[in-house]
Amino acid sequence: MTTFVFRNQTVEPFLDYDGMIYSGYDDISVTHADADRYIWFYQVPVNANSVQLAEEIDSYRGKLDLVLSGIDNQKPFIVFSLVNLFPLRVTGDQTALDEAIAAFNAHVAQLSRERRNVKWVDFSEFTLRYDADMLINWKYFLMSQTLLNPKLAHDFQAWWSRIEEELSMKRKKCLVLDLDNTLWGGVLGEDGIDGIRLGGDYPGKAYTYWQRSLLQLSRHGVILAVCSKNNEADVIEAWEKNAAMVLKREHFSAVRINWKDKVTNMRELAAELNIGLDSMVFLDDSPIERELVKQMLPEVEVPDFPDKPYGLMPFFKELLEKYFRIYLVTDEDRSKTEQYQANALRQAEQSRFTDLEGYLYSLDMSLDIIPADEHNLPRIAQMTQKTNQFNLTTRRYDEAAVRQRLDDGWRIYCMSVRDRFGDSGITGTIFLEPVDDLTMHIDTLLLSCRILGRGIEEAFIKTVFNLLRLDGFRKVKAVYLPTAKNSQTADFYDRMGMTCMSVDNDGAKHYEMPLTDVFELKNYYNIRVL
Amino acid sequence: MNALEEKVLEIMRETFGVEALTTDASQKNCESWDSLRHLALASELEDAFDLELEPEEIAEMTDFSRVIAMLESKL
Repeated sequence: MTTFVFRNQTVEPFLDYDGMIYSGYDDISVTHADADRYIWFYQVPVNANSVQLAEEIDSYRGKLDLVLSGIDNQKPFIVFSLVNLFPLRVTGDQTALDEAIAAFNAHVAQLSRERRNVKWVDFSEFTLRYDADMLINWKYFLMSQTLLNPKLAHDFQAWWSRIEEELSMKRKKCLVLDLDNTLWGGVLGEDGIDGIRLGGDYPGKAYTYWQRSLLQLSRHGVILAVCSKNNEADVIEAWEKNAAMVLKREHFSAVRINWKDKVTNMRELAAELNIGLDSMVFLDDSPIERELVKQMLPEVEVPDFPDKPYGLMPFFKELLEKYFRIYLVTDEDRSKTEQYQANALRQAEQSRFTDLEGYLYSLDMSLDIIPADEHNLPRIAQMTQKTNQFNLTTRRYDEAAVRQRLDDGWRIYCMSVRDRFGDSGITGTIFLEPVDDLTMHIDTLLLSCRILGRGIEEAFIKTVFNLLRLDGFRKVKAVYLPTAKNSQTADFYDRMGMTCMSVDNDGAKHYEMPLTDVFELKNYYNIRVL
Repeated sequence: MNALEEKVLEIMRETFGVEALTTDASQKNCESWDSLRHLALASELEDAFDLELEPEEIAEMTDFSRVIAMLESKL
């Protein structure tokens, strides 16, 4: 079998040196159509510039889509999720990068639902076993572009071969559960409805977690069934009357509660549910029952059952990973009801914001107002050259001209904007020309259109007005110069409460406003003046 | 062959996947002793003998006897 590996780092020590064909680093130009299967194993590169890195990560999605569109969709395509092995927090804010990684992983999960041949592997399942300083060995990385520590190669291979086994395994559809000492602690027939261990303190609490987890499994398409030696009437009563019961009759698609042997019951369950015995997993605390099913029905998976209640949650995780995880991500025939439920939730989420303010608040916006300096001056000049739409005067300046204005005593600020989706960087500027000791004139005001529509322009100028007032200025003047492209700003100063003093023949509007009161700013902006 | 040499030979056979590897093996005459597996060898030796090899030292270990000489100088 030929495997072709798309990668952006050296991964041979982990997968295979000779048995696989590797792409160039981050090269998708060759896709090797003859391969029997494909693996996409990218790492988050090392880059202290997290914004740049986020952009790079964002580009992986498009590349992956492009590759998938050109490959036979019958061939297995395994995608590793991205894990940031070396989270550098230079600015303390890594939202853009974290979002980019999450977006890639969500995209892959989505692909695996849409395309039968795409499987995704949660790489963090491996990396989370290690301390951060174990994950990268800088010596080997710098010598060989192997970002993941090669010392972990043996561990990785063991983990990877288990994953490969899971990927090739036929998915399971149904979990068949015993009741006494399996779904709850104790024996219903002896301890009674309120005597069984469920809810409350340990050990009852362990069964509550266990039942809740199983409920999630059923909500995501795994069929739950009961196979128990009990009096059915007692069990139904327990389901109805025990207040701590999470899983009730309606959560089980089929039940066999009787005194017949479990092999017969399992066969009947398979027939009733119209599924093969080989898609069933049988859980029972009794080793005798387990052995019987194992012997008589070798197609059925029969895992050992934990002998202590506190072993239930790790056991659940094991079940999930071993039998049901692949089912969960590739499930295409999840019931319509489930899909409707999910859509309803999403709609509820969307309509959570009943007004624009709620939405703006949720964006978690940060505005930094920064005086012009040698670092941001090129960007400021560039914005005056390029910005057309939200630009009140459309005056173009080169760097030297900006520097000259600063030397002349002008005040020039720029603004950097971040929100929870990312960092937009420097996206606005204002040039203030002193007219006299008490008056400032706005020579230039502009904002990049990608940050418009969130009230940022208002927050920006009002913050500047407050600054000027604090510094003793008492009046501000401004002018709007119409162009073919800036009509959206024609009444901006009016909206900011300035008074239009005169309008020229060419449409230029002259404004004035006294700086007497402090301008209130909406509290959904986190504004810093640097 | 002393104990060190035997242990190293064993590690090299394992790392390179060459059962017939002998003490005259070198990067030149052993095809699977490529640059990546060279680093794998270094990593294995570091773990087996609990030592750290510098990149410059790793670069020098181009054949079996140089590997032995390097280890002897560090042990």
